[in-house]
Amino acid sequence: MSQKYERIVVVGGGSAGWMTAAALVTGLKGRATVEVVESEEIGIIGVGEATFPSIRNYNQVIGIDEVEFLRATTGTYKLGIHFCDWLELGRDYFHTFGHFGNLFGSQTLWAQHRRTGLAEPLGLQCVPTVMAMKGRFVLPSEQAEFKYAYHFDAVQYAAFLRKLAVQRRARHTLGRIVDVSRRADGGVAALQLDDGRRIEGDLFIDCSGFRSLLLGGALGEPFVDFSRWLPADGAWACPTERVGEELTPYTRATALEGGWAWRIPLQNRTGHGHVFSSRFIDVDRARDQLLARLDGKPLAEPRLLRFTTGHRERFWVNNVIAVGLSSGFLEPLESTSIYLVQDAIGRLMTLLTAGRPLNEDDRALFNEGAVRRFSRIRDFIILHYCLTRRRDSELWRHVSSMELPETLSFRMELWRRYGVLHEYDEEGFDATSWLAIHAGMEHWPERDDPVFSEVVPEFAASVLRGRRDAIAASVERMPPHHRLLQQVLGR
Amino acid sequence: MKFDRIVVVGGGSAGWMTAAVLATGLKGRATVELVEAEDVGIIGVGEATLPSIRNYNQSLGIAEAEFLRATHGSFKLGIRFRDWLEIGQDYFHTFGPLGTLSGSQALWGQYRRMKQDGPLGLHCMPTVMAMKGRFALPEEQSQFRYAYHFDAVQYAAFLRKLATQRGARHTPGHVADVVRRADGGVAALQLADGRRIEGDLFIDCSGFRSLLLGGALAEPFVDFSHWLPVDAAWACPCERSGEELPPYTSATALEGGWAWRIPLQNRTGHGHVFSSRFVDVERAREQLLARLDGKPLAEPRLLRFTTGHRQRLWVHNVVAIGLSSGFLEPLESTSIYLIQDGIGRLMAALLAGRPLNENDRAGFNTGSTRRFERTRDFIIQHYCLTRRRDSELWRHVSSMDLPDTLAFKLELWRRYGVLHEYDEECADGNSWLAIHAGMDHWPEREDPVIAEIPPERARLALLGRRNAIAASVELMPLHQRTLRQVLGG
Repeated sequence: MSQKYERIVVVGGGSAGWMTAAALVTGLKGRATVEVVESEEIGIIGVGEATFPSIRNYNQVIGIDEVEFLRATTGTYKLGIHFCDWLELGRDYFHTFGHFGNLFGSQTLWAQHRRTGLAEPLGLQCVPTVMAMKGRFVLPSEQAEFKYAYHFDAVQYAAFLRKLAVQRRARHTLGRIVDVSRRADGGVAALQLDDGRRIEGDLFIDCSGFRSLLLGGALGEPFVDFSRWLPADGAWACPTERVGEELTPYTRATALEGGWAWRIPLQNRTGHGHVFSSRFIDVDRARDQLLARLDGKPLAEPRLLRFTTGHRERFWVNNVIAVGLSSGFLEPLESTSIYLVQDAIGRLMTLLTAGRPLNEDDRALFNEGAVRRFSRIRDFIILHYCLTRRRDSELWRHVSSMELPETLSFRMELWRRYGVLHEYDEEGFDATSWLAIHAGMEHWPERDDPVFSEVVPEFAASVLRGRRDAIAASVERMPPHHRLLQQVLGR
Repeated sequence: MKFDRIVVVGGGSAGWMTAAVLATGLKGRATVELVEAEDVGIIGVGEATLPSIRNYNQSLGIAEAEFLRATHGSFKLGIRFRDWLEIGQDYFHTFGPLGTLSGSQALWGQYRRMKQDGPLGLHCMPTVMAMKGRFALPEEQSQFRYAYHFDAVQYAAFLRKLATQRGARHTPGHVADVVRRADGGVAALQLADGRRIEGDLFIDCSGFRSLLLGGALAEPFVDFSHWLPVDAAWACPCERSGEELPPYTSATALEGGWAWRIPLQNRTGHGHVFSSRFVDVERAREQLLARLDGKPLAEPRLLRFTTGHRQRLWVHNVVAIGLSSGFLEPLESTSIYLIQDGIGRLMAALLAGRPLNENDRAGFNTGSTRRFERTRDFIIQHYCLTRRRDSELWRHVSSMDLPDTLAFKLELWRRYGVLHEYDEECADGNSWLAIHAGMDHWPEREDPVIAEIPPERARLALLGRRNAIAASVELMPLHQRTLRQVLGG
């Protein structure tokens, strides 16, 4: 069964919808019509969104200027995430998008660092980690190589992309969908709007958020539930006024009794939220815990979101493709929501620009790849929980003793027993990221790879001290994040 | 330390490969003089190489056809190992991709899971080419890599001409004495005819004699013979018999060592590498003669050696390149590769644009030593996985203690299916896999990621790849035909 896709209809106008539409109009250059159907009543989720470095590729591909983007979205720079109280209360670590030198072989940095017994965090060997610790930011250069991402307002980002997509001839249709007309083969023929209009299409992209209007709703695609590993099922979100001059160039994720709290710094305000599991903490108590943590005047009443972690069994069924929350959701601990939107857009664009009719194999590969990506990120997020030494509440006792997915336990065993950072295909996070979590959670291999002893310890120590000092000195010369941002924004 | 005057000692392939690069790469920033005693025999019956030889030739601007004509060269897709696992079993190690090595689509993982018939090599383009005797130049770099067989004596002569054209000075003469500096370095070479060759930097390419590094400077030798017990080789060239020209080296395991067969255009190189601990020298000679598949062109020549390397390869102002620095048996054709490796490190130091210092030497030495150890581990892998117990050699290699690094890698493979790589590797994950597969050495358990692919899709993908390779190889010409065409004869 091959199909042509000349009329593409995007359902939903959140960041997923407008990111998809912008990519489609830019990449397809008139080879298909793109229509976004957006109901103004549907609330758009997005209090302050944290991303990871691939967002910059997206912006570049679409042709978005960084400064313009930051201005439009009250965005800030993000070097990574500061994890507080995950290993034990009072302990913290950073996961930034930087290098830890070699990851295997005789000159493996983390291993030589352990051998030489330097009593200091491994993060001092990582440029963006030291920058984050000091609150500094500069754009990467040859002297300071690292990746970075942004914090921004997702509602403003969607509006920014809407303008761009519409300029590039995406059609913007306001209206509430009251019915979905099906084709004889089970696909979607058209959307029936409440004012009587009927929107026909060949391909429907479901960006309707948690509702999953087409894929989960009309097509009834089953949900693969991850909540036995990722039990979070609710989040309270609340923006506050920005306090003081300082602007952390990182997201903070603080582990609490029944979940964890985020803190996302934007230019003008700070996003706060509490992701929790109602199995382990009462909803109101979770709200109170969030309110107690706010570090500025609240700008709104806290909003409650409910969700289940997991994904639809298939993302592309018949002529419906789900992109974003409608396809699935992993809790935002590693800021993967926008990344997963991009991932789906990337797969879709590859197929649509292949220059041939799409068939059943294309759908199968799309689905397998997208599902694999979800599984990889699931494993990576579980890693943050399962290595905890906390036993002070039900949540932590659960995550420290639960059975793990086989792929994750295989990899953890390889690390613990041999110091091997085993990588799969469709990874969301590379070995450097896995190492950052292992290191932060003090999860170290039981034995040394014999290759490490090829380097003389004194030599290794002097190399490491030199690297640490050079990083410290170069970060010392960098401006604070807020100053650099002001400069970039031209203020 | 400056290096305005560089003296290369020895005119074999190591010496001329080094001199050619120095003369080309330093472009007059130093004088290059090569001292060669014409009465020293040059080893080289037929040399097999690794694909990196092509990078070497390219960097000097050597045209492939010209090179092949000058050296009686032929194309090499890899090595055929016979009788290594058990007598009667064989496998190929070619320079080709075996698909994805890790993750859900790991080709070998799906191949094992789906219990496919036939060797894993049927999924590797150059392996199938080798099995069928075909050769065509790769359409794109990613398809497969190849190397050459050639006459190393002719190759040295070819490079001598090139190097002298590019300004290297060729000084025939017999080194009678080495004049030392106060700091222990070498000041000059005293030739038998009274001439004195002074230099700032001496490259010792004197072969097994290791005239400067092992001799004058007496750098200790790190002995690998516990793991690689071979200590001698009989070598004998034969007339080429028949039209057929296999595009690969053969290495056949024997009672006390193994025999090579290297096809050149006009003749075939034969040799028997053996351990005198496990087989008598005379018996080894007879075993070689019994294997010859053409009329011998000379009496068999005996070489003696010890596997291992000098503790440091660069001491004071002496850098050893080639056999003078160390020797691993030729099982994986690494001799020329290790020469290139030494030249590459040397050039990196010389082109750094500053006087050489202790760090350059230390970096050179640790890097080179590591490379020898990685190569050693890879060669031992070929022996230690054997199921043969029919002679003392095989009983020894199947039960000996292994280097820690190798034991660690083997354990990771056997228990988890991880192809663990180090720095300074000479063989990549594909090569290690080819030996594991050929020696029927498979992981005890399956990576859970393998189960992510629906079985039917895995089966079809394997079948599709195998059939596509078989069909495209069927269209390729035989090796001898392609070679004739390239040579333009």
